[in-house]
Amino acid sequence: MNRRYAFLCICLFIFLIRGTGLGQQSNRISGTFTNAKFSSFVEQIEQNSSFRFYYDPSDLDSFTVNIVANDILVDELLKQVFNNTPFHFVIRQPASIYVTRNVPLQSSLPDDFFERDRTIKDTVTIVKPLTETRVKEKIKAPAENKLYEIGQRSAQTKEKVTLAGYVKDIKTGEPIPGASIYIDSMAVGVLTDQFGYYSITLPSGRHQLQITSVGMKNTTRQLMLYSTGQLNIELAEYIPSLKEVIVTAARTSNTRSLSMGANRLTIKTIKQVPVVFGEADVLKVVLTLPGVTTVGEASTGFNVRGGSADQNLIILNDLTIYNPSHLFGFFSAFNPDVVKSVELYKSAIPEKYGGRLSSVLDVTTKEGNSKKLSGTGGIGPLTSKLTIEGPIVKDRSTFVASGRTSYSNWLLGLIPNSAYKNSKASFHDLNLHVSHTINSKNSIYFNGYLSNDQFRLNNDTLYKYGNKNVNVKWKHIFNNKIYGLFTAGFDNYQYKVSSESNKSNAFKLTFGINQLNLRTDFSYSAGPDHLIKFGLTSIYYKLSPGNFEPSGQQSLVTPDKLQQEQALETAIYAGDEYTITPDLSVSAGIRYSVFNYLGPHQQFRYAEGLPRNRNTILDTIAYNSGKVIKTYGNPEFRFTLRYSLSENTSVKFSFNSLRQYIHMLSNTNAISPTDVWKLSDAYIKPQSGNQVSAGIYKNFKSNTIETSIEVYYKQMKNYLDYKSGAVLILNHHIETDIISSKGVAYGAELFIKKTSGKLNGWMSYAYSRIRLQSNDPLAGEAVNGGKYYPANHDKPHNANFIGNYRFSHRYSISLGVNYSTGRPLTLPLAIFDFAGGQRVYYSDRNKYRIPDYFRLDLSFMIEGNHRIKQLTHNSWSFGVYNLTGRKNAYSVYFVQENGFIKGYQLSVFGTLIPFVTYNFRF
Amino acid sequence: MKMHLRYTIICLFIMVACRQAYEPPVIKAPNRYLVVEGVINATPGSITTINLSRTRNLLDTFLTDPVSAAQIQIESGSGGLFFLHETAAGRYISDPLTLNPSHTYRLKIQTVDGKSYLSDFVPLKISPAIDSITWRQDKDVTIYANTHDPLNNTRYYRWDFTETWQYRSVHETDLGWSNGLIFFIDPANQIYNCWNQAESKKIALGSSLRLSEDVIDHAPVTVIPQHSDKIGIRYSILVRQYAMTEEAYRYWEILQKNTQQLGTLFDAQPSQLKGNIRNANDAEEPVIGFVSVSTVQQQRIFIAKSQLTDWTGGFSSIDCALIFTPQNPTNYLILNYPDTSYGPYYFTSSGSIALAKKICLDCRRLGGTNQKPSFW
Repeated sequence: MNRRYAFLCICLFIFLIRGTGLGQQSNRISGTFTNAKFSSFVEQIEQNSSFRFYYDPSDLDSFTVNIVANDILVDELLKQVFNNTPFHFVIRQPASIYVTRNVPLQSSLPDDFFERDRTIKDTVTIVKPLTETRVKEKIKAPAENKLYEIGQRSAQTKEKVTLAGYVKDIKTGEPIPGASIYIDSMAVGVLTDQFGYYSITLPSGRHQLQITSVGMKNTTRQLMLYSTGQLNIELAEYIPSLKEVIVTAARTSNTRSLSMGANRLTIKTIKQVPVVFGEADVLKVVLTLPGVTTVGEASTGFNVRGGSADQNLIILNDLTIYNPSHLFGFFSAFNPDVVKSVELYKSAIPEKYGGRLSSVLDVTTKEGNSKKLSGTGGIGPLTSKLTIEGPIVKDRSTFVASGRTSYSNWLLGLIPNSAYKNSKASFHDLNLHVSHTINSKNSIYFNGYLSNDQFRLNNDTLYKYGNKNVNVKWKHIFNNKIYGLFTAGFDNYQYKVSSESNKSNAFKLTFGINQLNLRTDFSYSAGPDHLIKFGLTSIYYKLSPGNFEPSGQQSLVTPDKLQQEQALETAIYAGDEYTITPDLSVSAGIRYSVFNYLGPHQQFRYAEGLPRNRNTILDTIAYNSGKVIKTYGNPEFRFTLRYSLSENTSVKFSFNSLRQYIHMLSNTNAISPTDVWKLSDAYIKPQSGNQVSAGIYKNFKSNTIETSIEVYYKQMKNYLDYKSGAVLILNHHIETDIISSKGVAYGAELFIKKTSGKLNGWMSYAYSRIRLQSNDPLAGEAVNGGKYYPANHDKPHNANFIGNYRFSHRYSISLGVNYSTGRPLTLPLAIFDFAGGQRVYYSDRNKYRIPDYFRLDLSFMIEGNHRIKQLTHNSWSFGVYNLTGRKNAYSVYFVQENGFIKGYQLSVFGTLIPFVTYNFRF
Repeated sequence: MKMHLRYTIICLFIMVACRQAYEPPVIKAPNRYLVVEGVINATPGSITTINLSRTRNLLDTFLTDPVSAAQIQIESGSGGLFFLHETAAGRYISDPLTLNPSHTYRLKIQTVDGKSYLSDFVPLKISPAIDSITWRQDKDVTIYANTHDPLNNTRYYRWDFTETWQYRSVHETDLGWSNGLIFFIDPANQIYNCWNQAESKKIALGSSLRLSEDVIDHAPVTVIPQHSDKIGIRYSILVRQYAMTEEAYRYWEILQKNTQQLGTLFDAQPSQLKGNIRNANDAEEPVIGFVSVSTVQQQRIFIAKSQLTDWTGGFSSIDCALIFTPQNPTNYLILNYPDTSYGPYYFTSSGSIALAKKICLDCRRLGGTNQKPSFW
């Protein structure tokens, strides 16, 4: 008789006797047993009560009982008897006691047994309890139907216990960050952290966990929690084209989680979106999300909900990436082969993040295949890339190393036009990630990133820029309830502009940011309804704001160097996610940030209360090294509330306040923006922003269609705009050229996403405005007469469509449509002579707009055959970027040519571009 | 190789399509806005000059567009009216005026197309006397203004200037040439010494705002680059000083930063010029200019080349080689040299005439006048 059959019999039996009445639990036992045989112990109890024992005598013939019972419950007595023994018992009402060896029996069916999906083919399997607190899953058995016993049965308490562990990919062993672990019956849940780790505090007893993660198959786990313990969960990739019934969990995290204004994308989704040259691009896909816009087709940054490009914190495994693009935005700096997922926070920004006003873009890379050495690669028209990953020490250390390089220089050389022959455009980037598990409590991680760009196009000026980033993290699990993450890192961004075509004007201009980061983050699971996070972060900045030097012997250029700037930004934070009722949960956090602008510095002093300009400079004050010149300190508040209206519908509300101490000064009127970063100082106050947003989320058709509407209103203070005639590069007193403005942003975002099926994709529309008002009395001038005016990146209408249709397992087609209003622009309108010179009359600031943007892309993807055993797995993608050939304006600029001012529109992709890319995996 | 070819074609597409003219309708529109330039001169008994013109759009090829036949009047806040009349296209002057320093004034302009423009009423500012105009040489020569207001009332200053400089032709001759005949020049109409003049092209502003006293100490007015021909012999500068309101100062400050330099890495942000003149019926119509009322103080200084160190000066770049042509045997005053850009320099004893380019002989050809200014 196999086990399954036996279980069915028991079930049947239970079913039959169900309803015969409860009670008689009050049977109490007294007696003294000294080295009593189990059979005689049973005999005595059966005589004195109505209980009947069922057991295998051969299991218990050598078992003796030593106990003094004084009017105690049978239940209690047996617990004491079987404590620390391999035996288990179950009391089945009215009066049956089953004793088993090694394997525990369930006396009742799981609560939801009869509600569960009928397609479940297997039954609950009895598993061996382990006295060790770690449960290692055996993959072959259907894990969903197992009952996992966690902790020591003997330790069973009424107290709350903590369950912790990792969620990993079943195939590669890589941790899965951002997976949701949810207990339906209690409406509590947690998300895994960046290492795939989770920790949740629950009452002991029976639970059903639902585990969901984007791009992975949803799964469930049946638990019997006795005491604090660990459960590692492995998830399988979600492969939609297989003709298999996919049982989705009752609800996905979209309507249930506290996250708001957050979009999570996996690399799988990203790779389906057609992009130029067929190179999957993280940022290009982020741009299709509601509320995200860009100033130009190939510009360096993106704008979130009316924020400027510098108001986004872009992190790659906690490395701060100042310039997230290659070739001025033609490619994103993130190699798609190492990126695992991307998360964009637009409104409910977790309190652990700060320092930027609009959003956090969190890019997570792969952990590395812990099971075998493997690689991926790709050959495209402009770039090639190779990634290798694998274990270093089996099951303890893994690595991912990836490189990408362009080889566009020789292509430019082939073009029969001398202007292009002299052009150069190239980049490369490198990623390295190593993780090492020291023991079950300690892990260390290393992340490194390096990128370099060179660009010279039909112009004598050479632009070079690069990011260099490195960090080390140590994760220590103090106990199941609390763990800490300690990070030390260094980030560098620098650029160099040089021109050598004219010997006497030859120059080089360099700029650099260095920052040293230290942070500690703690996560404390304080109960089933509380998850507390707290920590401390500190950033030491050192900026070289500009160094202008002659290049070559014949250069007559006068050297000019701006003073270095240094500052310390420190913040402490604490937050709690609190589940008040299953339908209502809140997350509240506070972050207190302190910014110290430090010497050495020569600071101009301006006459008090007067507009700052060169005429009001009184004198210069010299500050010594390390001297605190100016301190700003401010609390920031983060609050999110979720209320479920029904199973598939919820409403959320959030309030956020943020501060920003480092600002980008960007001249969008120049042909190629050369951005300068500036720290807040005695004159440039930190930017601050408050945002309220509300949203309604509803899922349809078993959660395969997610919809949401979010509205927001944001106020910004000390937003930086520039005075008339401001000069941003090599300005020794930038405070005289800056207007501290007030910004108001508001908008609504609609989002529909179909997550599964042959046809999947999303559609988004955002109406978003950002208007500024200059009200700084110390500026001495008000832009547009002090009236509200649109900011440089105010683009009211944005609509995106990404659709992917899978004909078969091997063939699929993707379509992308993108529309947005053109960005505002200040135009030179007329020329006149005045006071002996020729002058230009400009329109009101940002009064006009460049033409609207529209683009349609199409791509086909062909996967190679699906034999498991082959040398390489190949795939091809080909398609057309900008199918309609519309000449969208990347930048509009004006130059003086032969005494005339001429306007030009630069369309980088001004025609349709066919592309072919070949990818391989081994 | 087939693949490579395709990629090349892709790149060609990109590069070729990358730049096109950007000329939205608003740039092509006439954009003829009124430009009002001039200060109401409050120095008792002096003449006010106002220049009216129109802007041109970026594509226009003409250089100036004066506005003629407009009616311009200065209105006093207490009801006084002073009319200006046109003396040259777009140039309007008043009679000698004496304005009341305690009144406010505004400008009213009516153009022939029936539009009426009004400035704000502005107070009359009294400029203190210029203490001194000084200069220093540090390779280049910088001219400075120094002034102070004992009443601490002025605070905002502007200077403009007229430069005059003496220069000489490369060769000194007393011969002239007209209708094929050489003649001896009347010494009152000599062509060796000339004087040229230029108005200021840059805006010089100063403020004593940060100081406890209203003192302007060495405010730079202009810079003469080293070796400039302006100080070839002797140079003079007449600096005029105006007092301004704070608003006027801001306007000029923005104007100061407004240059035509565009299309470089170091471009300045576009400037906004919001003056104090507007169309009486359409406040949105752009009008350029800021009307101020100020007394004008002026002072002149001279700088001789001999006062400078390491200064070449002079028109050394001109080719002044001589050509010799035989004298006419019948009448030595007859000269029929085919190239009329040459003129007679002197008669040689061997019977030929030395010729040189007229630009080397007649200083007037270099733009100046041969009449010595009255102040020289």
